[in-house]
Amino acid sequence: MKTAVLVSACLVSLLATAQLHATGLATCDSGPRETWQAQEKLEKMLTDRGWKIRRIKEDGGCYEVYAFDDKGERVEAYFHPKTLDLVPTSRYPRK
Amino acid sequence: MTAGEPSRATFPVWDAFVRIAHWTLVASVAAAWLTRHAGDWHEWLGYAALAVVLARIVWGFIGTPYASFRQFVRSPATTLDYARSLLAHAEARHVGHNPLGAYMILLLMLMVVLVSASGWLATTDAYWGIKWVEELHEGLSNTLFFLVALHIAGVVFSSLRHRENLVASMLHGRKRVPDQEDIA
Repeated sequence: MKTAVLVSACLVSLLATAQLHATGLATCDSGPRETWQAQEKLEKMLTDRGWKIRRIKEDGGCYEVYAFDDKGERVEAYFHPKTLDLVPTSRYPRK
Repeated sequence: MTAGEPSRATFPVWDAFVRIAHWTLVASVAAAWLTRHAGDWHEWLGYAALAVVLARIVWGFIGTPYASFRQFVRSPATTLDYARSLLAHAEARHVGHNPLGAYMILLLMLMVVLVSASGWLATTDAYWGIKWVEELHEGLSNTLFFLVALHIAGVVFSSLRHRENLVASMLHGRKRVPDQEDIA
């Protein structure tokens, strides 16, 4: 009985988490890279907003930004490479 | 007891703490891997895995006999002898952890600590978004999963060699009472 409870607890927790995002925090339908706006433009846009950029990389067809916002808070935010619009994720903006 | 095992007397070896810690660690590490790109959940699962390992280390000093480090951590010489006997297909059955399995346990615990620590580092202001920290965390995680695979292989191997289901033992805690040739 104890065994069954232990095993099912493990299975349930595994299955429950398998339902969460299997890949990145966001994906962007952004097409070929030649059609993207430059990373530098995004960087300037955010710097003008008072952000301090640590790193920008690509993830799921989006720009993924590690930065500190104008209040000095750590931010991991996604932006669409074509529009440079913020792509909301579970991490940013914070609810 | 599952069918096919020798119908021999068993006795409790792995206490409840050891078994719950083992399977909680399995669940939290597996879930952390599944959520590896998904922020908050991933972080909390990593801290949970770390907490389990730290608690298990404390239990290794104050817990039941078979949970104790001093029961299963053998000298390098003893471990080497065991490895030699393994190659000669003459290794003794250990009721507790065998010497090589024991070092694997220490290694797995060390890796969980290192993976969690590097993951935590990646969330600090100083190392936020720093590439090498992320790569370190990934490299350590991959190493951990490689060792987990070896651990499982070792468990399957020992189970077959000594005709006892070690996975089941980690669930119900019982093992066959030792023979004269076995190491209690």
